[in-house]
Amino acid sequence: MTPGTDNHELFENLRLELRRGSLVLAVLAALRKEHYGYTLRKTLADRGMTIDEGTLYPLLRRLESHGLLVSEWREEEKRNKRFYRLSPHGKEMFKQLMTEWQSISTSLNGML
Amino acid sequence: MDLVDGYVKAVAKALPEEQREDIIGELSEDLRSEIEDRQKTLGRPLTEEEQENLLRQRGNPWLLAARYRQDQRSVAFGRQIIGPVLYPFYVKVLSFNLGLTFLIVGGIFVALAVSGQRISYNDIASTCLLQFLIQFGVVTLIFSLVDRHLTKHPDRWHIKAKNGKFRLDLQIERDMQVRIGSHPGEVSRFESLSTIVASVVALVWWTAVQSHPFLIFGPAAAFLNLAPVWHQIYFPIVVLTDLEIVRAIINLVRPDWTQFRAIARVILQAGALAVACFAIRAANWVTPGSPVADKAGTYLQVAHIVNLCLLYVFVGAAILSVGTILFRISELIQRRRPRGGAREVAPADKKQN
Repeated sequence: MTPGTDNHELFENLRLELRRGSLVLAVLAALRKEHYGYTLRKTLADRGMTIDEGTLYPLLRRLESHGLLVSEWREEEKRNKRFYRLSPHGKEMFKQLMTEWQSISTSLNGML
Repeated sequence: MDLVDGYVKAVAKALPEEQREDIIGELSEDLRSEIEDRQKTLGRPLTEEEQENLLRQRGNPWLLAARYRQDQRSVAFGRQIIGPVLYPFYVKVLSFNLGLTFLIVGGIFVALAVSGQRISYNDIASTCLLQFLIQFGVVTLIFSLVDRHLTKHPDRWHIKAKNGKFRLDLQIERDMQVRIGSHPGEVSRFESLSTIVASVVALVWWTAVQSHPFLIFGPAAAFLNLAPVWHQIYFPIVVLTDLEIVRAIINLVRPDWTQFRAIARVILQAGALAVACFAIRAANWVTPGSPVADKAGTYLQVAHIVNLCLLYVFVGAAILSVGTILFRISELIQRRRPRGGAREVAPADKKQN
């Protein structure tokens, strides 16, 4: 393996790590409005937060199991879709995380 | 059934049952939404190739399913040999195999006990332990190879149509073929490694059989003994197996020594034929064990049947050996014969010894 590919791999790993932390916040933010999986993915992608299905759906399940989201199956356009939105506990958690994010962002901006 | 159904079904198989329906409903909906979206953009239905490309972007169905599972256990001896993707399948297969094996072994012991044979706890424990080790070793080896394939080639899969149904093909066979077939001038390292492992296991078993006949007879070892011929052929078989291990190690280091392998195989096969012929001449391979007055006749009869079966096995092995030797010799001759006049020497040929 060349130093170039080593460097690229390292960058990719660090980039993924950086994004992983912010994905939860992005998903919670998007789910202030109700979405089903596909439209949520599109909304995130349109805002520059591309997330693959293999990451998004397990994440939604995890957040729901922690009580941060509520979901329900509903028929729309003759197809059954699972709609997600923030639960009251999720809204509370989102506010706290937002404050934390802003504090990190301010600190980092001061350093960068 | 269409491609999407085939893909979703492949994912479903690797999901825990309690979550399956829910996850599959959502995944299926997501796929169909994306297909519809693309069709709207293109203004026409997606072709099968385009659908396959879309599914390919989603990744290997088994890897996708593993991301939904909360159980991330794996098998590791120092380093991980079976990851969380295959772990649930591994446990299922191993449990099924062990369950079935112990059922059969249990049935044999019960039948022997009912027919009045003496069975010691030692016999039961050693038979069960041996079966456990064999099953554990074989199943673990197979799964570790599949896991290695999945790790090295996560993108090597496709949904295969067969009899109107679609199913997941992990293309493991292709992997093996590519490895052997892409270097026709070389001995596959996978093959050499498998030969070494199999020969070492065979050697351990063969040595253990000499002092523990139950490893070959099972519970019947209580009333059958190995005839002296087995002790006479013990050493030649050990030498032949050792030579095969040495041959495989050499080919592991030098996979381009194909001619060496071809010659070594003929010699070793000839040795195996000589051993088989020597064994056939003995005529008696098992003898009845310490006779109990009222069972002596039965034991003699059993020994006679086993000897008859072994005669067929040895004769069959000898015929097979002769056939294999002739085949290998014809291979060697063909290899040496020039193919239609002068030809350029391929790089692989240049390296051959």
